[in-house]
Amino acid sequence: MSGKNVFNNKLWVLLAIILLAGCQQPVEDEVSVRSENVGFTLDEPAAVNIQQPAPTENPINGLKRSGIQPTSLKIPALSLEAQVQHLGTTENGEMAVPDNIEDVSWFSPGYKPGENGRAVIAGHVDGVEGPAIFWDLSKLQLGDEVVVQDKDRTLKFKVHTMESVPLDLADISKVFGYTSSPELVLITCSGTYDFDRGTREERLIVYASLIEE
Amino acid sequence: MKKILVSFSVALALVFSLLASGAMADSHTAKVRVVHASPDAPAVDVYVNGDLTLEEVPFKADSGYLEVPAGTHDVEVFASGTEYAAGEGVLQADLAVEAGKAYTVAAANLLESIEFVVVEDSMEVTEGQTKVRVGHLSPDAPAVDVGVIGGDAVFSGAEFPGITDYAELDAGTYDLEIRLPDGTQVLPLEGTELAADTVYSVFAVNTVDSLEVIALVDYEAAGSPDGMPTTGLGTPDQSQAIWLLLGGALVLIGASTLVWKKRFQQ
Repeated sequence: MSGKNVFNNKLWVLLAIILLAGCQQPVEDEVSVRSENVGFTLDEPAAVNIQQPAPTENPINGLKRSGIQPTSLKIPALSLEAQVQHLGTTENGEMAVPDNIEDVSWFSPGYKPGENGRAVIAGHVDGVEGPAIFWDLSKLQLGDEVVVQDKDRTLKFKVHTMESVPLDLADISKVFGYTSSPELVLITCSGTYDFDRGTREERLIVYASLIEE
Repeated sequence: MKKILVSFSVALALVFSLLASGAMADSHTAKVRVVHASPDAPAVDVYVNGDLTLEEVPFKADSGYLEVPAGTHDVEVFASGTEYAAGEGVLQADLAVEAGKAYTVAAANLLESIEFVVVEDSMEVTEGQTKVRVGHLSPDAPAVDVGVIGGDAVFSGAEFPGITDYAELDAGTYDLEIRLPDGTQVLPLEGTELAADTVYSVFAVNTVDSLEVIALVDYEAAGSPDGMPTTGLGTPDQSQAIWLLLGGALVLIGASTLVWKKRFQQ
């Protein structure tokens, strides 16, 4: 009698341990599965800037480019259209994001789309109820177009690199940094959900370069 | 206002000392820009670690900044279209670069004595100010000053193949000129607009009889956050995870109660 009870008790404890341990494991879901094997980069020699002969003009002038303050974002390949909010940082210094799932945000203290440097736009991958505006961002392909607009100008960018980077390895100075030509960077969450940090473990980062008119 | 000339050897020593001090190669990157400043050299192909990285770079062209992993890279230059063979290039250097820094690598001098001029570039400028430096990459031109027409020199005694330190100035429009130390004008640069929050390099190139300048932007300042955005409002299988946690806790409590009950009964 008592031998059977002891066995039962051990079984219950074992079951409890298994259940509790299960909760510590990263939980796989559609976002994490989709971001497992993403990533590509354009593999060809970089383009060079050839100085235009302008003997009468001062070559120092006209080096800088002007950008736009984008109000809308379109990604035809994903049938995506979004309003662009202009946001800075949160209280803890992170890039701020919209508090809804259908808008995206441009990091307005940084570079403007169209000027040299990396202009950054972020959007949510999911919300409490399900997919958000950048749900399909991981489906972007090399060469896909990303279009940003303000009321006067439309700028087209072409995707050249995609990577999913662990949060702690993301190089902020690179992602938000200066480049010698205009670039657009799109960011959303990827990887498995980290319950301790309250966010996903990785960020999906897409880099695109301006298509010259 | 006088700026100390950074000579080729000092610049190289600076770059190579990074290797000696054991600069760590990590996941972070450095920025490298290549400039063709050899007036009689043909267009070139540039190989980095044996990979074709720049193709058909003509005289006066620049690559813009390329992102390369921090560490040491084999940079080799070939006349455009030449088949690559390690060590056979017209120019070769082991270039050590440190994460978070930017460099200009110029191929300078006449083809018969072509050489690399390597210098670190600035990626900071006081808010509202402008920063500029000049490089003397004209192999047969004498030492020159660069200054305001009818006014002070901003850079004095620049000589081949040197690149000066940066001078930080108020943003604005300047009537500049390249001139000999005796005041004779070599090249006018009137109405030079130097924008705020911007860092410039101005390189004098070509032979003295057809001296001209290449102007490059090294950096434009902008804001950056401290952290990546939190771009997911949802949590996967949230209800299921909580159920598992609660269920596990309940079972554990239940089981331990049974154990204690058993012990008290004995």
